[in-house]
Amino acid sequence: MGNGALSARWLAAVAFSVFVALPSLAVAQSGDAGVGKVIYERKCALCHGVKGDGKGPAAELLEPKPRDFTSGLYKIHTSAPPGKIPSDQDLFRIITAGMPGTSMPPWEVLPEKDRWNLVAYLKSLAADKFKQAPKKIELPKEVASSEASIKRGKEMFEAIECHKCHGTAGRADGPSRPELKDDWGQPVPPANLAKRWTFRGGASRTDIATRIAGGVLGTPMPAFADSVEKPEDIWHLTNYILSLGPEKPNYSTLVTVNGVTGAIPDDPNAEYWTKIAPNNIPLMGQVILDPRNFNPSIDLLLVRGVYNDKEIAFHLTWDDPTQSVADAAKKLFADAVSIQFPSKFTAGNERPYFLMGDSSDAVYLLRWEAGKAGEASANGPAKIKALDGGETTAKTAYQNGQYRIVIKRPLAGKGDERPTFQPSTFVPVAFQAWDGGAGETGTKASITSWYYLRLEPPQSNRRFVIPPIVALLTLVAMVLIVRAAGRTRGRS
Amino acid sequence: MNRKALTAFVTAAAVAVAGWLIAPQFATAQGGGTVEVEVKFNGAPQVETLKVNKDTEQCGKEAKIEKVVVGGNKGLVNAVASVAGAKGAATAKKASIDQKGCAFHPNVVAMTPGEIDILNSDGILHNIHTYSTANPSINKAQPKFKKTMTEKFEKPEFIKITCDVHSWMLGWVAVMPHPFFGVTDGSGVAKIENVPAGKQTIEVWHATLGKATKDVDVKAGATTKVTVEMVKK
Repeated sequence: MGNGALSARWLAAVAFSVFVALPSLAVAQSGDAGVGKVIYERKCALCHGVKGDGKGPAAELLEPKPRDFTSGLYKIHTSAPPGKIPSDQDLFRIITAGMPGTSMPPWEVLPEKDRWNLVAYLKSLAADKFKQAPKKIELPKEVASSEASIKRGKEMFEAIECHKCHGTAGRADGPSRPELKDDWGQPVPPANLAKRWTFRGGASRTDIATRIAGGVLGTPMPAFADSVEKPEDIWHLTNYILSLGPEKPNYSTLVTVNGVTGAIPDDPNAEYWTKIAPNNIPLMGQVILDPRNFNPSIDLLLVRGVYNDKEIAFHLTWDDPTQSVADAAKKLFADAVSIQFPSKFTAGNERPYFLMGDSSDAVYLLRWEAGKAGEASANGPAKIKALDGGETTAKTAYQNGQYRIVIKRPLAGKGDERPTFQPSTFVPVAFQAWDGGAGETGTKASITSWYYLRLEPPQSNRRFVIPPIVALLTLVAMVLIVRAAGRTRGRS
Repeated sequence: MNRKALTAFVTAAAVAVAGWLIAPQFATAQGGGTVEVEVKFNGAPQVETLKVNKDTEQCGKEAKIEKVVVGGNKGLVNAVASVAGAKGAATAKKASIDQKGCAFHPNVVAMTPGEIDILNSDGILHNIHTYSTANPSINKAQPKFKKTMTEKFEKPEFIKITCDVHSWMLGWVAVMPHPFFGVTDGSGVAKIENVPAGKQTIEVWHATLGKATKDVDVKAGATTKVTVEMVKK
């Protein structure tokens, strides 16, 4: 009888453990925390720390700071309150896809099994928090994008005051921006909603709707699930956010400057410029010379260029959350950009050092600083000499966290230090930009390497006239030759 | 005979059970005393001010972060006084905190575990962002049309409340395990009522200055005064 009771208990225990184990089996990939630890120490500890507290040796240089796994608090989750503990899939996804706009790379290179093992190890670092099974957040029924939905989304965007942080046009320039801190007291900028390829948790419709409904944990971004007028407003907001910018930046490999006839407008907001396709140039932080810029503010420059028979004009657009006024005491500097060319255009591939030239080869800089145009010659970032007596002009517009400027110069360069632009040629070009409000100045800049700029000849009607004339002349010549040949043969 | 005895026994038992059920409340109501806690701080107030760059119509042009408020007679304002280790049922009154003039009113709310109403009298976007360990943290938007939001704090602890839109906004919710508490008023006085008679320890908590305790002998039906001095940390 004692035996019978024991086996019954045993059976119950087995049945219970199978019952408990089933849901985790359904996930199919329950990792091994022990194996995960070994991978963690090799791949993750440098930033996230050996203890998982986010205090690895590289942490100091990173912004945003690496996650403290011991807190169990994760930005990106698809879980409902209370707790908002991420699901295994949430963790797996971030490990696999990385976090755009941060130093967290995608770890797709690791075998899938290893990524699940890492998930198991991360959970073990905050075992208490993960005791509770996450409950998936329920989104309202999806609403497809339409003009009406985008309109409603904009209304809701204004009603719930998204602009307080994200700015009127979504460019992360809202008035609360400088006050925002994460749960660890670190400054945290709001997302630039017009650049959704930088969204930390992905840019799909569901990703965006989930972030709006559930918030971004440990940051100022609150949950709006119960704080919109109607549940489906979450989708209207999503559709509006998707309308604020392109899906991808579509970076250019060549900067095209179009030849035009007639006057070029000075006004950066003139409709003229919207008809020209921009060249999208990515910028990186300058990390070669001290002081370095590990977390550059400006990551994209939209370049439009035109020239006529007298002058060349560049229309530049970039996002900058503040129109900064230089104030050295507050570590604020003037916002600036420069367009860099070799001082002399020579045939062949040899170009000055891309970072503002060096002692042997100088570069020419077409500069814009806090609304003023200028020119300079440089033999490296420490040897910049302003050029006087030029005819450079600039017009500036700043609106909703975005600069638009037009900078002009005569085609012909005065003296030895200014290059002369020739139609139908390729010339090397590079760009530099500074967000003075983020403390950027000097070598703390966003930069590019050399690109090529091509001055496309003006498109005239001659291309419709000359080829037919040539064809006609060829035909006439052929007929004449054939006739002449016939005559010669007839004679013999 | 037997039946009579049984009836008597059942009646006696019923009375005894009823008495046992009713007794504690009865005893508390009758045998309790009032403790008037006067919290003193012999230091300067700590108030930071900052310029407001938005919502000036509601928030004013200058915001104050009041870390230590000292009232008349060196009384420390917004300290929570409670009876340490006491046990008791939750209070019937639902707690509430209002966001008015871009500040939390009252600045410190004490409550027994349960629900709290969070009001938005400003009619602009605020977000309730709590910092807690025992209770799940909350970060919920409260846009202008959401006048009241109800949240639940079930575990006793001191919870910091902030608003990220207006970073200077700072409030506290003291979730107490029993109903014997009070928050000091403008002159640093808190009244705790119905405190069980006998030797008790009064504990004072302040967000910036920390904790202090003092023993007190509570007399039933009388008011016992006690002064607790807080020191700068």
